[in-house]
This record gives sequence, structure tokens and C-alpha cells, in this order.
Amino acid sequence: MPKVTYIEHGGASHEAEIAVGENVMRGALYNNVPGIAGECGGALSCATCRCFVDDAWVARVGGPATHEERELLEAAASLDTDEGPARRNVRLSCQISMTDDLDGLVVRLPAKQYA
Amino acid sequence: MTIDPAHPVPPVLPRYAGPNQIPPHIPKGLIRSIGLTTGAEFLASPHDFMAKLHEKQPPIFYDVNDFCNAWQIIKHEDALFALRHPEYFSNEGATPFPRDPDDYFYFIPIEIDPPQHRKYRNIVDPLFSPQGVLRLEGLIRQRARDLLDQFAGTGECEFTTAFGRPLPVSVFLDIMGLPQDMRDTFVQWAVDLLHSQDRETMGKAMRLISAYIKQAIAEKRAKPDDGVVSRIAHAAPDGIPLSDKEVFGFVIFLFIGGLDTVFATLNNIWLWLAQNPERCQEIINRPQDINAIVEELLRRWSVTFSGRVVAKDVELRGVKMKAGDRVTSILPACNFDPEVFPDPLKVDFDRPRKTILAFTVGVHSCMGGHLARLEVKIALQEWLSRIPQFAVKPGRKIEYRPGGVVGPKYLPLVW
Ligand code: HEM
Ligand code: FES
Repeated sequence: MPKVTYIEHGGASHEAEIAVGENVMRGALYNNVPGIAGECGGALSCATCRCFVDDAWVARVGGPATHEERELLEAAASLDTDEGPARRNVRLSCQISMTDDLDGLVVRLPAKQYA
Repeated sequence: MTIDPAHPVPPVLPRYAGPNQIPPHIPKGLIRSIGLTTGAEFLASPHDFMAKLHEKQPPIFYDVNDFCNAWQIIKHEDALFALRHPEYFSNEGATPFPRDPDDYFYFIPIEIDPPQHRKYRNIVDPLFSPQGVLRLEGLIRQRARDLLDQFAGTGECEFTTAFGRPLPVSVFLDIMGLPQDMRDTFVQWAVDLLHSQDRETMGKAMRLISAYIKQAIAEKRAKPDDGVVSRIAHAAPDGIPLSDKEVFGFVIFLFIGGLDTVFATLNNIWLWLAQNPERCQEIINRPQDINAIVEELLRRWSVTFSGRVVAKDVELRGVKMKAGDRVTSILPACNFDPEVFPDPLKVDFDRPRKTILAFTVGVHSCMGGHLARLEVKIALQEWLSRIPQFAVKPGRKIEYRPGGVVGPKYLPLVW
């Protein structure tokens, strides 16, 4: 199974295997990775699954997939003002579906998912 | 206190009801009796009533009633806080559904606090994820078409019995791995259990449902399949199989949480469509926006409430709550918070995307939310393609059902 590395805001790193077709938000929940809430279960309504895609992976992962994802990310942007430059690669992890191509993906997690 | 889900015991939390049981720390100025879910004013037009709370009541007040005195939350922001802080707002003992104290069980996952809670959700979440429920799309569509075939040509139907109940029950049986010939029986049990308002009828329904579910669990244990009942029956998180009580409490909660809510949601939406034919046309004209349409309809017509028990003293918006107090988030009112959704009663498919509270947020946010969204979407698409315009049957008055799931009792339609 492809692997994803989640790096918590404080620096702790967790590697998890995620089945192809599952998304990066669920991969975190199933493997008890802290830092992703994923409250709406991937319904594009909560923005509590934000992650910052590592620069090296941005090209392969791509930017926000839909109009809804972009809107939610804009609405949540004020939560991430302290995150520095990594913020530019923000995505909703529930919208990143695992493929073999993404084996080795690295994402960073914000300090908080909600106010 | 942390509970042991494998060995359920009835909670010993106090439950206060009525004007003679108001704890002394409740400020007099915040005490109300608004008749939520039961009063004449509420029943005349429940959603309008809940929207008006923002003008008539303080943002947090303490409602005194015959059933359960509790703090009431109506601000979107406050509900988010309560739902996201289980360390203050616990689910243990917060579900008021009566059970036999000698054969007690917990409703799983709703009555379990983190961290134990996640282990249950992990068992079935993959089946209820957006990708998981999409596998059911063809089947749900077929079930909707089969029902429509039976009455679309007749020019009238009673929506609840012809479509609003049988569709979700059929889908539920499919996902659970139970036989379709149980459909009408399940509808009857759900109605008796949740709507009869009569203890004897409720008790009898509960016994019949329990017996059926226990037998279904035994069958799935012997013969596994890929339905939800079998998956729960065979689950062994961290290598430890779930106890009989856990399996039963999980399966029966799906029955209680996953049917009536969908019935009521469909009823509310179809009543509104019947009264607003131009909006039916708008939905037909915007097929590409169907997801946003469903989300807005779920905001406007949310049907239920969320209960918690204060686990340790906490202050919210200046209001001091004490451990043991009960708290209800009036979710439809939170979805009408004008600070978050301006002109809240207006159905506007172009609203900016915001967190709606129909399914709550936080760890307990509805497990069936994606299934429910898909059901509403397919029901709209299939119905409107066959019956694009319809009206409430002339001369028939719409009455609402009292209780914790808000919707019209019957909905006679003509076209
Ligand atoms: C439109 C239809 C539905 C509505 C409005 C609805 C509403 C809700 C709400 C408000 C909650 C959260 C309660 C709380 O936090 O206190 C909830 C939880 C839940 N719902 Fe739904 N629901 C719907 C459909 C379904 C369906 C179809 C299923 C399953 C077949 C389902 C299964 C559940 C479960 C298992 C929980 C508990 C989740 C947990 O505690 O982690 N619901 N639902
Ligand atoms: S989990 Fe809610 S938007 Fe991703």
C-alpha cells in the first residue's frame, strides 16, 4: 500500500499506509494520527482536514479540486495565518485520493483545525 | 466517569423535569418554557418558530419542560464549541431513549466519548464514506424508480407512505445486508417506535425490533457477508471482538438514527417543493449544482437536536454551566443564525459554503451523512424527472408531529 508521512505542527512525524482510493484525511483517522479532525467525513463542509502539501509533491497532488474546496479553504484561511510559507500549498486532505503515484507523499498539519 | 462499553450499566445522572426541579445555580433571568417540539406555536410551523428564537430569546437559555430541563444553544458558534469539546460536553448518558435497566445497552457510537468512540466509527466508516456510498448509487436510483413506477401515473399519492418512508428503508436494508421483504415491517416498526407516543406500542415495537436484530446478528455471525450488520458482528478492533451488547447497541442505533431522520427530511423538503413550483423548475434547470442544492435544503430543513451532559463546569458566552447540567443544541436554530446565514429562511442555492449543522460537527457528526445526502439527491432527481410540478392536495391541512425529529405527519400530494 502507498505510504503517507504526516508531520504535525510541532514536528512529530507519522507514517501511515493508505489503501489506493482512500483519502488522506481517512488515512490519518484510521491510523490515529493527531492533527486532522475530518469532522464532516469528507462532505466538503467543515475544512477541519486541512494539510499543507510538501513542495516536492505539489505538482503531483495538484491544487484544490473543486470550487467548493477553494471556498472552504478561503473561509478557513484566517486559522492558518501563523503557518508561514507552507500555507500556499494548502489542501483539504479529504479531497486527496491515494494512488500508487502518491506513494511517499509528505503533508504537514496545521497547529489547529478550528478556532 | 469513563464507561466500559462492553459492560453497560444504566447512567446515574440526575434528570430534572418541570418547574420544581430547577438547580439553584440557574440564573432566574435565563429560565424559559418555550414549548420546543410540543407547544402549539412550535407545531404550527416548527422551522419558523426555531428561526424566531434568535429574536425572542437570549442566545443561551434554560428551558424548563415536563421531559428534561436543559440549557438550549441556538448560536452557530456556540454549537460548534459544544460539539467540538467533548471534555466539557459529554455524550455519556445524553441520549434520553428509554431502555430496560435489567438488560441495559449503550447506543453505539453516539453514547461513547473519545477516545473509545473512534474504534467503533472505524469499523463502518469506510462503507459510509462518500466513495463507499457511491457504490450504492445505481441501486438507490433503481429503488426510487421502482417506487415512482407504482404511482407517478396516478396523479396523486400520500408522499410519506408511497415514497418518503419506503425509499430510505429499502436503501437501509440493502446497506445493512437485510432482506427487502422486511421493508414494510421495518417501516411499521420505525413508526411505532418513534412516532406512536404510546408507551405500550413503543415497548412492543422495541421488543420486536430487538428480537429481529439479535437473530440477524446470529445469522451473520454464522454466515458473513459484506453488509453492515455482518461487518459489525465480526469486528475485532485491536484483536478484541465486540461483545454481544456492543454489536446489538451499534446495530439498533443505526435503525433509530438512520430512518426517521431521513423520512422527516424528505417530508419537509417535498412540502416546500409542493408550495414552490418555481423552485422545482430551478432545481431541474441546474443539474450541475445538485450538490449545493442538497446542502442548502439540508440547512433549511434540518430536523433534529443534539444532546450533551456537562462533564465539568464551563462558561459559554458568559453563562456558567455546571457538571451534570444537560445541554441541547437546537440544530435548526443554529442553521438559522443570521450572523452566519444572512436572511436565514431564504432557500438560496448560491450561498457561500459554510459548515451546516444538520448532521452536527465534531467526533459524533452523523455517520450516515453521505448516505443521507445521496438519498436526498437521487430522490430529487428521479422524482422531478417524472413529476416536475406538484401541489399539496387541496383542502388538506399539514400537521406536524411532536417530538425530537421534526416533520409533517402526512403529505398528500397531487399533480
Ligand atoms: C437526513 C438524515 C439524517 C440526519 C438529519 C441525521 C442527523 C444526525 C445528527 C444531528 C447526528 C449527531 C448527533 C449528535 O452529535 O448529538 C447524527 C449522528 C449519527 N447518525 Fe445521523 N442523520 C441522518 C441520517 C443518518 C443515516 C442514514 C444513518 C445511518 C444509516 C445515520 C447514522 C448516524 C449515526 C451512527 C450517528 C452517530 C455518530 C457518532 O456518534 O459518531 N444517520 N445524525
Ligand atoms: S473532512 Fe470536512 S471538508 Fe474534509
